[in-house]
Amino acid sequence: MQCQVLLFAQLAQTIGKDRITIELSNGATVNEALNELAQEHKTIAQMRNSIAVAINEQYCNTNTEIKDGDTLALIPPVSGG
Amino acid sequence: MTDLSRYHRQMLLEDIGQVGQQKLAQSHALIVGCGALGTVIADSLARAGVGTLSIVDRDTVEITNLQRQVLFDENDVLKQIPKAQAAKAKLAKINSQIKVNAHVTDFSFKNAQLLIEDVDILLDGLDNFQTRYLLNDLAVANGLPYIYGGAVGTTGMSLAILPHSHARKNKSPQSSVSWPDELSTPCLRCIFPEAPPPGASPTCDTAGVLGAVVSIIASHQVAQAIKLLTGNMDRLDRSLLSIDVWLNQHRTLDVSTARNTSDCPCCVKGEFEFLFGQTGGEATSLCGRNAVQINPQKSESEQPNMDLSSIALNLNKHGTFTVNQYLLHGQFTNEQGKNGIPVELTLFPDGRAIVKGTDEPEFARSIYAKYIGN
Repeated sequence: MQCQVLLFAQLAQTIGKDRITIELSNGATVNEALNELAQEHKTIAQMRNSIAVAINEQYCNTNTEIKDGDTLALIPPVSGG
Repeated sequence: MTDLSRYHRQMLLEDIGQVGQQKLAQSHALIVGCGALGTVIADSLARAGVGTLSIVDRDTVEITNLQRQVLFDENDVLKQIPKAQAAKAKLAKINSQIKVNAHVTDFSFKNAQLLIEDVDILLDGLDNFQTRYLLNDLAVANGLPYIYGGAVGTTGMSLAILPHSHARKNKSPQSSVSWPDELSTPCLRCIFPEAPPPGASPTCDTAGVLGAVVSIIASHQVAQAIKLLTGNMDRLDRSLLSIDVWLNQHRTLDVSTARNTSDCPCCVKGEFEFLFGQTGGEATSLCGRNAVQINPQKSESEQPNMDLSSIALNLNKHGTFTVNQYLLHGQFTNEQGKNGIPVELTLFPDGRAIVKGTDEPEFARSIYAKYIGN
């Protein structure tokens, strides 16, 4: 299945896009999606344990199963101030 | 009784009125960090009539602050006035009815508990996650509302936190703001369990920052604080706000289930490791070397080595830095330590750093937070 991933803050800036599409097997979890994304994007690998993840604008944990048509959002904490 | 006439336009707001204004006058807000966010927060809360403001900051005003830190001016830079004191002086001219306490100090586990005496609410004007986790611990342990804000580049984030009573150490909270557990929210660590590894997250000094995004985030924090202090609990924005003013993104995220699904070390397990100084990194003066060693917090999970080459690219905007297979080393152009000597930095792939040119741990921590990020 295809899953749309929205990138926030520094992830969007570092990767140069604010959304990407990834291919996942049916029944994949958020954790598996993050594995896939971390292989492709170094910044996601680096920030992995600090990123909040949402499915369809609702916060979720990494064991949550992704359904066909879901939109994932990766939100890194914003540190400056 | 305080003359409230200056607040007439604010009291016209139905949810505030004279009763709400009196509540503000009796409130005490602690603003931790008086940089870009902190100055906007302090300015707005002073004008709104919050009776007592306590401001904590360890730094002095620099010329590059003036682009966005609204309470400071060129005279503060020339005289090297500490930010907390400069803010206090400006706020006294803006509103002489309120009391402002300036604490020129490094906010740490050693003084955090002392600084919250009589405080009703905590406002975040910080520039690093290590200290935010300390503030989060402090809020949860004492049952104080905490308004997180962060801004860098053109992005920003804000979240109001009403800690759950489960892990509270102080069983009779001092805050005038009270709420039943069903109205409590996840804490910062429910949502972001670990700080970004050192060097992985941009800082205002490496990536820049647009003043406009700071003002939006700080104003959102202020609005939530005023709602809570005036008893308008039901108006609180309970979502995580994330904006990018350049990419025109404005998103709110429903985080209401984050505590239920997390194994939060802070508000579920009650392990206040930052408040008790068990973690959060160390800064140690290296005797006789005019240098301070920084050991950042080590994450429980495995972290890749720092990418020293990309950090050097950023740092070279601020001085001359080179990388070899073992370390990054160089000197800042505009950061001077004792006797005006340029500050040198040596950074190792595990995040450890030596800041040379100072023997003050607070100054070295400030350099690390600004240029490496933690």
